[in-house]
Parts: sequence; structure tokens; C-alpha cells
Amino acid sequence: MERVLLVYEKILRKIGLEKFGNLIEIIRINDGPVNSLKKLTYYDDLKKGTLVGTDEFGNRYYNNNYYFFGRNRWVEYADHVGFNYDGSQVPPEWYGWLHYKTDYLPENDPTRPNYPWVLKPSENLTGTKAAYMCYSTTKPKIVVWTPQSKQKA
Amino acid sequence: MLRSSIQKAAKVSRRCVHIGNTNKAAVAKPSAEQTLLEVYIDDKKVLVEPGTTVLQAAALVGVEIPRFCYHERLAIAGNCRMCLVEIEKSPKPVAACAMPVMNGWRVKTNSEMTRKAREGVMEFLLVNHPLDCPICDQGGECDLQDQSMAFGSDRSRFTDIDFSGKRAVEDKDIGPLVKTIMTRCIHCTRCIRFASEVAGVDDLGTTGRGSDMQVGTYIEKMFLSELSGNVIDLCPVGALTSKPYSFTARPWETRKIESIDVLDAVGSNIVVSTRTNEVMRILPLLNEQVNEEWLADKSRFSYDGLKTQRLAFPMVKFDSGELKAVEWEDTLKHAAQALNNANGQIVGIAGPLVDAEALIAFKDLLNKLGSEHVYTENAFPLSGSGIDIRASYLFNSKIVGIEQADLVLLIGTNPRYDAPLINTRIRKSYVHNELDVALIGPKIDLTYDYEHLGNSASTVKDLISGSHPFNKRLAQAKKPLIILGAQQLKRSDGAALLAAVQQLAKKTAEISKVDASWKVFNLLQEAASQVAALDLGYKPGISNLKSLPAKVLYLLGADDSDVLKESIPTDTFVIYQGHHGETGAELADVIFPGVTYTEKQGTYVNTEGRAQQTLNAVTPPGYARTDWKILRALSEIAGKTLEYETLQEVRKRLEEVSPNLTSYGNVQESNFIAQATELSKSVKNNLESKPIDLKLKKLEDYFMTDVISRSSVTMSKCIQAVLKQKQNKYYDGVEK
Repeated sequence: MERVLLVYEKILRKIGLEKFGNLIEIIRINDGPVNSLKKLTYYDDLKKGTLVGTDEFGNRYYNNNYYFFGRNRWVEYADHVGFNYDGSQVPPEWYGWLHYKTDYLPENDPTRPNYPWVLKPSENLTGTKAAYMCYSTTKPKIVVWTPQSKQKA
Repeated sequence: MLRSSIQKAAKVSRRCVHIGNTNKAAVAKPSAEQTLLEVYIDDKKVLVEPGTTVLQAAALVGVEIPRFCYHERLAIAGNCRMCLVEIEKSPKPVAACAMPVMNGWRVKTNSEMTRKAREGVMEFLLVNHPLDCPICDQGGECDLQDQSMAFGSDRSRFTDIDFSGKRAVEDKDIGPLVKTIMTRCIHCTRCIRFASEVAGVDDLGTTGRGSDMQVGTYIEKMFLSELSGNVIDLCPVGALTSKPYSFTARPWETRKIESIDVLDAVGSNIVVSTRTNEVMRILPLLNEQVNEEWLADKSRFSYDGLKTQRLAFPMVKFDSGELKAVEWEDTLKHAAQALNNANGQIVGIAGPLVDAEALIAFKDLLNKLGSEHVYTENAFPLSGSGIDIRASYLFNSKIVGIEQADLVLLIGTNPRYDAPLINTRIRKSYVHNELDVALIGPKIDLTYDYEHLGNSASTVKDLISGSHPFNKRLAQAKKPLIILGAQQLKRSDGAALLAAVQQLAKKTAEISKVDASWKVFNLLQEAASQVAALDLGYKPGISNLKSLPAKVLYLLGADDSDVLKESIPTDTFVIYQGHHGETGAELADVIFPGVTYTEKQGTYVNTEGRAQQTLNAVTPPGYARTDWKILRALSEIAGKTLEYETLQEVRKRLEEVSPNLTSYGNVQESNFIAQATELSKSVKNNLESKPIDLKLKKLEDYFMTDVISRSSVTMSKCIQAVLKQKQNKYYDGVEK
């Protein structure tokens, strides 16, 4: 499949249809039409870029300076989350790179502290069953009787 | 002593009470005009009796003069000066509340001078009043707030040039019900006059004079009265506010529902203020026939008992002996099965707070199931005429009748705590109408003087035979009243006592030659449900369960019955239906959660026989349901369907049994007193020598008498406060 796409891409470029060649290239890089459609549904976007790293959760980080600043770094979430991806699934060390706080990748960031007591990052659970629910701090309006059954003689 | 000092002031106000009537008479008969004075209020002519004050004359033509210290039911003080008005040809404005009118006076209530006088008074009041309306509980129902808007100046001239701060007064601790913020006090002295005239407790007074004047108790002590809550309503500013209600709601946020109080048998009219489905407070509603504008503390403050210890879910006792909440359907089926298996061996007891609708449904259901054993908790002898003649169990002369009486003989009752608002009537008559009171029973403090005739029941016998020295007083009396406490009928010689008192009433009527329409005999009931239950044909008072065939014991809000203090056989299936978990619920095999008087539309008949209804103020908690509806549902599941489905149909049924039960607000005249007395002669007159005792003798006994007040934290605080006060070395000790 990849070879077929490559042939098409070359032909299109040769006959001067550069843009269609780019399209076929992006589809090729994103593992063919089926996977491309899948990514398009997930992220409403289809890009080509270089894979700069992967985090412990399986999220993949890309960079391509062909795109304008703000769109040139992106994340593709781990496959197992499917549609349930969320910004909070990005761990803090990648967050800085993704949001242009730093240009260092996490593994070669000299400023990044590495304390042993730091907890493993967790995603925001709001809207799920595991979401944090605060207990009620208001007094109930009615105090219900709790039975203390007496024995009849 | 108090009586004579007040009489002068009282006479003025008493005369005033009649003005309305006299004026009507004057319209009908022009010839009477000669004795009346002609006064012009803002050029409107009005004819009044001599002695009428300017303020009262103005009220007759609908001109309301602003006031703080004046109150219709209290003596005139004339110290707030807010009611200053101009009178033509008078150089100075006069205080309208204290000035009797003279013939031909032209009063100007809206002239330049009057308005300036009011503005000046208001300015002085506000100089010494904190501007803390936003945090004041009176905000929104404050006379000072309203009147400063209407009559005050639009700007302030107050500047604290010495930076010494405004007048500030230390707060007093006068108990757990009334909160004092004395800096707000404007010295109208309404609370003082209420305490000494109506409540009969001379606890409040003033110390100091001028700007150093303070209202208080002089030494720190509790305001020891069962009517203390009324000073909150009387206070025109926020100096006296309700402690349990403090900072909980604003008057404009609450919904007000007019209802009836059921914690005693007076049937006081009340306004239930609710917000977010919660009872925020209870206030009195004006009803001249019943409670005037007062309310007793238990009725006013025990509303927090409506929110605790509630039964909110139907429950069934499992084999493990544990009560567990289950669905309505299962509970009803379980109970219906037990009722059907009992073969009519069912005993029902109705408690003191049950409404007439539930009473009729309860009785109809048990009758359909083949049982005639439907009882009330409170006793009433069935000998003589029994409950066939209403006159033997009613307060026949009505509560207003006390105001005409000139002699009251109390037998075995303490109206001060059994029915505080009947006691205020007696005291009102005592102060204003020369009423004399005598008492057979233990020595108690009734807030007025009385002749104590000992505590032996045989005194009644002596009075009938005419050998007692008090007979002379009875013979002199023109309108005597005899009030018997219903609690005495529980005595083993209750029947004899009732018969003896009926005969004494007859004899008194004969020797004092009273009018045929004047009813001497009165029974003071204690429970709000009792009269309706007797009207519906309940058997009064159950004493021995073992003598009855009771496979099922059905308790309808009955927690105080003597039966429950004895041992209930293990094979008796107990159903409890009610709103609070207490003695009855603890014994139950099945619990049906019912509703309290603030959660239902129910009929209650007070001790006079006056039918009145409560209205829904809040929705019932959890799965609780209206009592008659529970009984109706149970009847259907038990296969003995009751023939009514709506409230209208239940009331139609009530009307079939006793038409007076649905004639709301009215008292059906009680008749056949002579016949009842005649029948009572058949009762053996064997009065025991056992002294007459009372259930409620002291103030601390008063606060907790039923499931609602027993669940109330406020009421238990009251008891603690009274007991603490009695430890105080300055407490004058004598429970007079």
C-alpha cells in the first residue's frame, strides 16, 4: 500500500499537481487512508511531522515547523483512550514543550527538577465515576428517627 | 396590689373598647348624641364617649396616628411622643394616645406643626438608635424603620462631634427564647407593661433616667413566663427578638400560612412562616374569640421539634427484631395481613395530636374490621350521660365568657400551664373586671391572687351540701364559672368527681340565680384531639389492655397512653402511625409515617367545641403521608375499602357523624346541661379522700408535654434555664 501511494505521489508531483502530491504524502505518512480517516475523526486534523518523543502513557509528540507557530507541536493520544482523550492526559514534563514554555524536550531539559517524592501525574476525572465528590456541609432539614426497638414483655 | 394600681389605667382602656359599639348605637339612635362628644379629626366629624383619647377617636374615622408606646391591650404610657398632634387653639402639640378628647376639638393630624413634631421626635429617637438595620432581625417588620420612612427627615443632622460614639447599652440575658439587643431599645416600655399586666410576672422594669434609662430585670435573671415570646411581637424595634429565629430568615422571604396550634386544647390561631419548605417561625394570628393576639411559648417556639425525631419512612420489624425501612406497599400488605388475621380482635388508641379526618378514618376502618375498641388517650367517664351530651365535656361558657364572669372556681386544673391563653383571659378579667378566683387543688402560682380551698376532692361535696364557708361567695356571684380540669377524670373516682362538679354547677346556678343562658359548668380539656374524638364517638381513656382481646394494637399517634407503660403481650402485633419516633414507635412491629399539624389540612376542635382547620405549610418529610390517606390505603389493601377518597368526601363523612366538625370557626351552642346533670345523679357519689394533684405545677413542667415539644431542643433549653434560675440566690423562691 505504502509503495502504491509513493508511486502516486511521485506521478502527481511530476505532472505538476504538487498539492495533491502533498495530500497523498500525508495519507502515506499516516499509515494509509483508513488510519488517516480515523485520525481525522479523532482530531479533526491530519498533519505530517516528526515524532520527537513518546511519554510513559503512550502519547506521541510531533513537531513540524512547516506549520505556523502554535500549530507546529502537537500530541496524538495513546491509542487505547480512543475518543476519551483529554488535555490532562499530557504529563507535566511534556506540557512545557507542547505549550512553548521551553524548547527542550523533557529528557534533555536541564532546568527540570526530578524529586523522588513527586507523584505520578493523573488525568482529570471529572465526569467519570471516579470524580471527586465533596460531602454535603449543610445540615439536613429533617432529622429522621433511628429505631431503637424495645422488646415487648 | 398590682390590681388596684392598674385599675385606673385599665378603666380608660376598658371604656375605649366599647367605643366602636357605642358609635354604632349613636348612628342608630340620634337621641344618644347628647352624651357623646363631638370631635373633628382632620375636619371629619366623629362622635365619641367621654374619656376617649384623641388617638382612639382618630382610629374611628380611619386616621392612623403613628405610635410606638401605645398598644390597645396595654395600659397607656405616653412616653414615646410619636403620636403628637396639633389641636386647634392649643399652643403646643399634644400626645394623642394619652389625651382624652373634649367637646368641639379640632384635631389636625397632618398639619405643619404635627409633621414637624413627628420629625423632631424621630430625629431624637434615631440619634440614640444604632443604624444596624442590615443586620437586625426586625428589619422589614420594624415600626421604627417604617415610621422613619414615613415621618422622619430625609437627612441627618447627627454628627458625633466628640467622637464619643452613640449611646450603647449592655445586652441582657433573659432566657433562651428572647434575645435582647438593648442598644436598639427606644424605651417604649411595652414589654414591661405586658409582663406586669398580661403575663402577671413583674420581672421587667426600668433603671436610671433620661438618657441613662435602661429596660431590664435589674439583676440578671430569666424572664420566667410561659408567655414571654409575646414581648418579641410587641417590641416595635429590634431590641427584643426571637433567639431561635435569629438570623435565619427575613419577613419578605417567607410564605405565611394561617393555621391552628394543636399543642394544647385552646386552638390558638397561628401564622406559620416557612421558607424553602422549612418552618422558620410561628406567630400568633389575631382571633378575639380564642387567643386575642397572644401565643404561649410552647406553641410559638417548639417548631424545631417538628424537624427532629421524625418518622419519614414506613418500617417493618424483621425477625431479627430490627426495624427497617421498606416500601409503602410491603408495609401496608404486612399490616393488612395482621389486621385480617386478628378476626376483629383489634384495639385502637388515638393520641392527642390527631386531626378529625384521621380520627373518622381510623374509627371507620376498625369498625369495618369488626372491632369496637377505639379509644382516646385521655379519660372521660362513661357513667351518667357519658359522652352523649356534649355539654359535659366542653368549655361551655366559651373563652370569651370568662370576661363576663365575676367568680371562677378552678377544680383540679392549672390553667396557667394547661391552657396559658385561658389563664390570660382569667387574669384579664381579674385585673379589669373584679373577677375573683378560687382553686381546689395544690397551691400553685396562677399569676393572680386566688382563694385556696384546699386540695381535697371532698371540698366539692361540702360545697354541694352548703356547709362550706365559700358557699356564701358562690351565692353572691352573679356570673359564676366552674372550671374542671380534664386530667382529674383519670382518677379512680373521676366519674364521681365529674358528677359532683356537675351538680355543684347546677346548685351554684340555682343559688346565685343566674340567667338561663349562662353556663356554669366548664371542662378544660388538655388534648387538641379529645373533643373531636368524643364527638365522633370514641371511647375515652384506656386503662387495661389485658382485659381486652388485642391481637393487634393500633396506635394512632399515641405515645402517652398508660397502656404503653404496662407490658404489652409479645403476641400482640403493634402498628404505630404517627410523626415522631418515641414510646409508641419503639414498640411497633409496623410503622406508618404520618404528618404533623404544619403538614396537613386537618380539623381540630378546641375545648370550647370550636372547629378550626390547619393548613399545609410545608410538605411532609421523606415518605410520610397524610394520616387519613394512609388509613384509606390500608383499608383498600385489607379489603375493607373506606368509601371516601378525597378530603371533601372525608369531611362529608365527618358532617354525617357530627355536623359541628365542619362548621369552621364557629361554636355550636352546647345544650341539655340540665339533662346531663340529671343523669349524673345516677353516678355513685363516692369521692375519695385522695388529694387532687396536678400534672403541670411549675414552669419547668410546662415546656415538654407532647411528642413535638419533647423533641424540641428549644424547649429543653427552656427547662434548663428555669431550673438554673431557681438555683439563683436572688430567686424569690416561692412558687406562689
